[in-house]
Amino acid sequence: MTAKPRKNPAFQGGGSIRPGGIYWMRYVIPALVFYVIFMAYPMLDSVRLSLYEGTAGTRQFVGFANYVRLFTDEVVSTRFWNAFKNNWVFFAYHMILQNALGITFAAILTNRTMRGRQFYQTLIFIPCTVAVLVTGYLFKIMMNPQWAKAPLENVGLGFLVHSPQGWLGDPGTALSAVSMVSVWQWVGIPTMMFVAAFQGIDDDLIEAASIEGANPWQQFTRIRIPLIIPVIGMVAIMTFVANFNAFDVVFSMETLDGAPNYSTDLIGTLFYRYGVAGQHPVGIPEPGVGSAISTSIFVMLLCGVIPVLVKTQGKE
Amino acid sequence: MKKLIAILMAVLMCMLPLVSLAEVELTMGSWRTEDTDQVQALLDKYCEMSGVKITFLPTTSTQYNATLRQQLDGGIGPDLFYSRSYATGAELYDNGFNVRCNEIPGVMENFTDTARSAFTSADGSVFAVPFAAVSHFVYYNKAVFAEQGIEVPKTFEEFLAVCEKLKAAGITPLSNGIAANWDILECVLCGMIPNYITAEERLAYESGEKKMNDETWVRIYTDFAKLVPYFPEAFASIDNDQANVLFGIGDTAMLIDGSWSYGTLSGDDYDIDVGFFSIPAPEGFAPGFSLHPDFGIAGNAASAHPEEVKAFLAWLATPEGAKVAAAGVPAGFLPSISADVAPEGGIVSQMFAEGEGKNADMRFVWSKMMALYTPMVDQLNAICRGEQTPQGAADAINALWEAELAK
Amino acid sequence: MDKKNVSSVKTDKTEKKTRSLRIMNMHIPYHIIMVLWSFIAMFPMWFLLINTFKKKTEIYKNFFGLPKVWTLANYEALFSGSDFLTYFRNSFLVVVISLFMILFVGSLCAYALAHWRTKTSRAIYYFFVIGMMLPIKIATIRLLQIMKALNALNTLFSLYPVYIAMGLPTAVFILTEFIHGLPGEMYEAGYMDGASRFRIWYRIVIPLIRPALATVAIYNLVPIWNDLWFPLIFITREDQKTVLLAVTRLQGQYSTDWPKLLTILAMSALPVIILYLTMSKQFVKGLTAGAVKG
Repeated sequence: MTAKPRKNPAFQGGGSIRPGGIYWMRYVIPALVFYVIFMAYPMLDSVRLSLYEGTAGTRQFVGFANYVRLFTDEVVSTRFWNAFKNNWVFFAYHMILQNALGITFAAILTNRTMRGRQFYQTLIFIPCTVAVLVTGYLFKIMMNPQWAKAPLENVGLGFLVHSPQGWLGDPGTALSAVSMVSVWQWVGIPTMMFVAAFQGIDDDLIEAASIEGANPWQQFTRIRIPLIIPVIGMVAIMTFVANFNAFDVVFSMETLDGAPNYSTDLIGTLFYRYGVAGQHPVGIPEPGVGSAISTSIFVMLLCGVIPVLVKTQGKE
Repeated sequence: MKKLIAILMAVLMCMLPLVSLAEVELTMGSWRTEDTDQVQALLDKYCEMSGVKITFLPTTSTQYNATLRQQLDGGIGPDLFYSRSYATGAELYDNGFNVRCNEIPGVMENFTDTARSAFTSADGSVFAVPFAAVSHFVYYNKAVFAEQGIEVPKTFEEFLAVCEKLKAAGITPLSNGIAANWDILECVLCGMIPNYITAEERLAYESGEKKMNDETWVRIYTDFAKLVPYFPEAFASIDNDQANVLFGIGDTAMLIDGSWSYGTLSGDDYDIDVGFFSIPAPEGFAPGFSLHPDFGIAGNAASAHPEEVKAFLAWLATPEGAKVAAAGVPAGFLPSISADVAPEGGIVSQMFAEGEGKNADMRFVWSKMMALYTPMVDQLNAICRGEQTPQGAADAINALWEAELAK
Repeated sequence: MDKKNVSSVKTDKTEKKTRSLRIMNMHIPYHIIMVLWSFIAMFPMWFLLINTFKKKTEIYKNFFGLPKVWTLANYEALFSGSDFLTYFRNSFLVVVISLFMILFVGSLCAYALAHWRTKTSRAIYYFFVIGMMLPIKIATIRLLQIMKALNALNTLFSLYPVYIAMGLPTAVFILTEFIHGLPGEMYEAGYMDGASRFRIWYRIVIPLIRPALATVAIYNLVPIWNDLWFPLIFITREDQKTVLLAVTRLQGQYSTDWPKLLTILAMSALPVIILYLTMSKQFVKGLTAGAVKG
């Protein structure tokens, strides 16, 4: 299971500054083995399912019929484009709000003379540790006028209640509400990444800048931010990818259907409904359609991610 | 590094799979996580009689279909499993996962055609032994009714008057909400429909002989819409769990829900004295009774112990077995077997009594019209929000069904 | 604001006294922001905590207030009735072993990909990155068959490889970037001394990328700990269940004992917080390692 390269005399090689591919493959292979057997192969094999119809016992090759159905069938395509649109909104909240908060917190928390940084960072992270099942349940009650209206009005916070339907019950506000809960819960993750990135900046650079008279804001925008562009790109990509696979937060607050009236339906829930569980109550999954959904999104993600990767990553 | 690897290896060694025991041990999959203790006790009784140990391994309801299918697909499904009725259950059989039950003694004799038909696939194979049916009721808080001087309503009009009276007294009449996206159709609308449409008439709708936007359907949606003002103000945010709780803690006077909820509503969690009645029929309509085949017990065709599996299914199909089993599941699950196996004077008998002399039928869409399930939920949601008229809902559903029939 | 605040650590003692006051003043807005967010982050946790001391129905009668009747019944249920210690042990093992392997093979791979810059290495890098873009649930059936063939079903061994594979794309993605960002002169001394690449990896690279390793670990910690899907399908044996899997039994179809569920899930967050604190110490260590180089 584990490589023990240290004992291997071959690893004593690489004394040259630029060893070749065969040398480096030894470092790559352990990861590749796990990745290929337990992820890449099963997933690519499942992508193949998008060309089939039916489930295990009744599977048939149908060519691109699932894709045709996904994009032309009135019901399926309406759901798909609706989820697609919702997902962009969901992503926008995370990209703009969550990452801005994360970068702000990280900038503050890497201020070396500030006290209590570890304490704050831990508090920011604590919501991430709680199962989504729990946060969903709590927010469902806290945002429900049935329970929240009277207590909040008593303390003069009545405006926080959306009466009578509730933030999660009104199709016009539900998606925003779900997005905000998700931002609230996961902001600790980008914060942590930006903290790691800011900490990697060479102090000498900042010092040189401050000697030259740059104020902290200038230091922040002209030195610290440009230096962590690769990490910003990385976080952006991870946000993008994670959001288009998001599932739990909607499931725990708005059912698998993305209630009310599909206003919180995301690609993740749509995929689960069609590909894994099947539409309630029949519950007969259509792995072909599910696979077509994730394959289409996969292609879209690739188109979004590769340019960002090329732009921000691996610059010498 | 060496140390770490050594520790890792040691940990891995400790966790090598233990070799399992040889004795015959079956597993039973289910979505009824809350019945674990009761059902396990029932299975232990069976073990005393037959020597075959069965372990009850429930999964949460929302994940059950998906995980069961994956496990069956992967060849590691439980030996016995709760089977959903109609298409969902039949689909597993069509994939070759279920033991065919036609030859199991008792299956063809001890159940009515209606009970068995819910577990019969298109080719006539019985894919599970019918086990329990459910009904849908209006639960009411007896203390509140007594306080307000309210009698149990006999007609839908009286029911609305009761709601109005309660509302005027400042009590939320009904607990129901629409956030869960299923109970509004399965419990409320499907609870009402047998009052308007008999089982025979249902067939006419299924075949397209009658239109899904005829007078009757507009009337059903119209009557449904009349209930909405009596839901809690925040009904859009209230799911089934919360609706039950609101009723249970006495915040609302009534709840339209399934018979399965009786156990928790009358149980130790709540202090209320709970009564129930069928959703009443409007004047001029013959009262109906919703009796829906809910689940059967299926055997896994790939089980390593096929004989033991069949023996258990056969036991369930005998009146004696069914009687033990009926006593072992929570109140509110009505035995499917023809023989009278309900404990006398118990809650199950009372529930059956509600249906006496009425036209019984299952949930309307289940048999043939599952394609309408989601659209109907959507239409009901729209009616509740005031975005759709009863006529509009009926027209929309009819258009969908005509399109479906044309396929 | 004082332009020198960032480097104030290095200033001499006489200046320090007068400046420290001003530095403290300067951080007040920062503290205000952090306190404000801490409050936003923690108030639902407060409601979570107080509701674990309530009985099943009080949570709905009095969600926001302190319990009218304090009860420890939910906690007793956690430690008496069932095998939650076993479940916790299983979850803990799963998380720790998976994370260790992710970091071990992931950082080796990232080290190679950051230094070996050819078309092949880029291809391998992208091959890992695309793994982030498909939902792993899509592969469940195939994974199930693989686990069955390996005779790993019903043991924690069916979970480790899946989680390791799940964590690798992000690990390779993040670590490659961080290793690549390390200043090149860091290695040169090593090469001069004739140290092997492997030695450089664990003597120089690993200490320097501690914050990134911690980031990867924490990023994967939460989804692995809270994963329900794979245990649900792969594991039915009591003694191999994880916490979240065991919890599903408490979550009924139509009625749920929420205070008990909240209690167990609140408790199940504690090990995660402890692991988080352990790993986030690496941020500080990385900081020191970084300072040494200057």
